[in-house]
Parts: sequence; C-alpha cells; structure tokens
Amino acid sequence: MQSLAMQTDWASENLQVIRTLMERSAVYRRALAPVMGAIGLTGLAAAGLAVVAGINTGGAFAGYWMTVAAFCLAEAFLLVRRQALKEQELFWSPPTRRVTQALGPSLFCGLVAGLAGLRMNPDMAWLLPAVWMVLYGCAMHSAGFFMPRGFKLFGWGFIVAGCFWMRAATPSLTSANWAMGLFFGGAHAAYGLYLYFTEKHGNAT
Amino acid sequence: MNPKPFLQLDRVIHEKGRLPIMSLLAAAPELSFTDLRDTLKMTDGNLSMHIKTLQEAGFISVTKSFRQQRPLTTCALTPAGRRAFAEYIDLLEQIVRQAKENK
Repeated sequence: MQSLAMQTDWASENLQVIRTLMERSAVYRRALAPVMGAIGLTGLAAAGLAVVAGINTGGAFAGYWMTVAAFCLAEAFLLVRRQALKEQELFWSPPTRRVTQALGPSLFCGLVAGLAGLRMNPDMAWLLPAVWMVLYGCAMHSAGFFMPRGFKLFGWGFIVAGCFWMRAATPSLTSANWAMGLFFGGAHAAYGLYLYFTEKHGNAT
Repeated sequence: MNPKPFLQLDRVIHEKGRLPIMSLLAAAPELSFTDLRDTLKMTDGNLSMHIKTLQEAGFISVTKSFRQQRPLTTCALTPAGRRAFAEYIDLLEQIVRQAKENK
C-alpha cells in the first residue's frame, strides 16, 4: 500500500518536472546581443541628435522619441528575422509569439503616454522618460518569463531608473533627451556588450 | 489501486536521465547537443549514452551537420518518440487520477 502511495507521489512529481522542462525548452533562444547593441547605439545617436537639433517642445520631444522607438522596433524585427532565416528557423515561432504577447500591453501603454505627450507643454514633457522607463521595464520583465535569465533583472533596472528619474530629474527637455540616450541607449548598448561576451556563439558540440 | 499503469510505463523513457531529454525535445522542434547538455547539466559522455539509447529505441533522430565550419549535432523527437512520450504522460496521469479517486 505504501509503495502504491509512493508511486502516486512519484508520478505527480514527474509530471511537474516534465512540465517545468517543457517550459524551459520553449524559452526564446535567439541571440539578443546584436539586437541590444543596435538599439543601444541608435538610442545614443538619437540623444545626441536631439540635443544638437534643439528639441524643446513637448510635442516635438514625444514625436521624435516615438519615431526613434519605431525605428528601433523595425531594427529589432529585421535582425531577428535575419537570424531566423540564417538558422533556417520559423520566425513567428511559439516563443517569439509569447515574448511579443508579453511585451504588448506595457509597450501599448507607452505609446498612449507618448501620444498624450504630443499635446503636452514642456513643463510636463520632461517626465515622459520616467514614464517610458517604468513601462518599458514592465514590458521587459514580462518578456523575461520566456527569455534567458537576466532579462527580468534588466527590466527591474529600467523600473528603478524610471522611479529615480521621476524623483531626481530637473524640468528640462535637454536633460530629458540625455536621459533617453543614457538610460535607453546606454543601458541597451551595455547589455548588448555583456551579452556579446556571454552568449554562446554557435551550438557546436 | 490498480498497479497496471505503473507496470506499463516505457522503461526506455522512464529512466532518470532520459525522461528530461524527452521532455525538452517534446516542447521544441529540435535542440542542439549543447543546448541539451547545458540545460540538463549533464556530461558529454552521459548525454551521448542516453541519446544513443533513445535513438536505438527509435524515439529520437540525430542529425550531424556543420555550422560556421563547426560540427553541430541536433536531436529531435521522431513520430514514434512523440507517441511514446504522450503515452507515458497518459499513464502518469492515470496513476495520479486513480490515487485521487481512491482517496
């Protein structure tokens, strides 16, 4: 009787282990270093350009950075697609679908905040980077459940940085432009560099 | 409780080292040897041995190729392996279900 009970416990545990392993197997595996690096460099360049161009109205600030975000999304899409083609893999795979679904809600809120920012006066627009950072951090954290370890921590970094910026920022659009460059561009570039040296290059046995 | 389902469990899959390999492959179209080894924290020799057993049972297929001039070994479940794995899960669920009914 006791052995039958043990069999049952063992069967439940095995089912749990199988489930965990199947979930782990379905993790998003594309190399993220090129994506992060490209987004980082774009962000840094865009911040420099924004300061040089003297973007100093709320609408211009929101519009400019939403355009940069759209450009970065296109960059990421093309790089991931290129990787999938090179590896002869499905682009719209179940892990890619799950990651996109996880990113969706927070990025959508970021878009809404940006659209609201188009009508904002400069007295308020300097707060947009903080809002975007928190929402972007939430998006990264959600996607982190389907991505390699470390991604959730990256998301938390943005959330903390956003909260810090809300408290510490000076009401100026020049510093807001630099914040976008530093927090989005700099953080992505640094993470891209870290991933470049830690991600596996090829899966040779 | 009927001990029959437990006795029907496929011994090839049932082994401690092989069940995780089957579980990982069941959720992905294919995985490289390196991915399997890193995820399961197995040694090369141990993993090779289990892969060979599963391959001989017809449960997984192994493909050897080259990527960027480096050898690449990938494993995938065969239709027979997928079927056997599904049956294995069914039997585990039966064991758990029977235990709940007997409580």
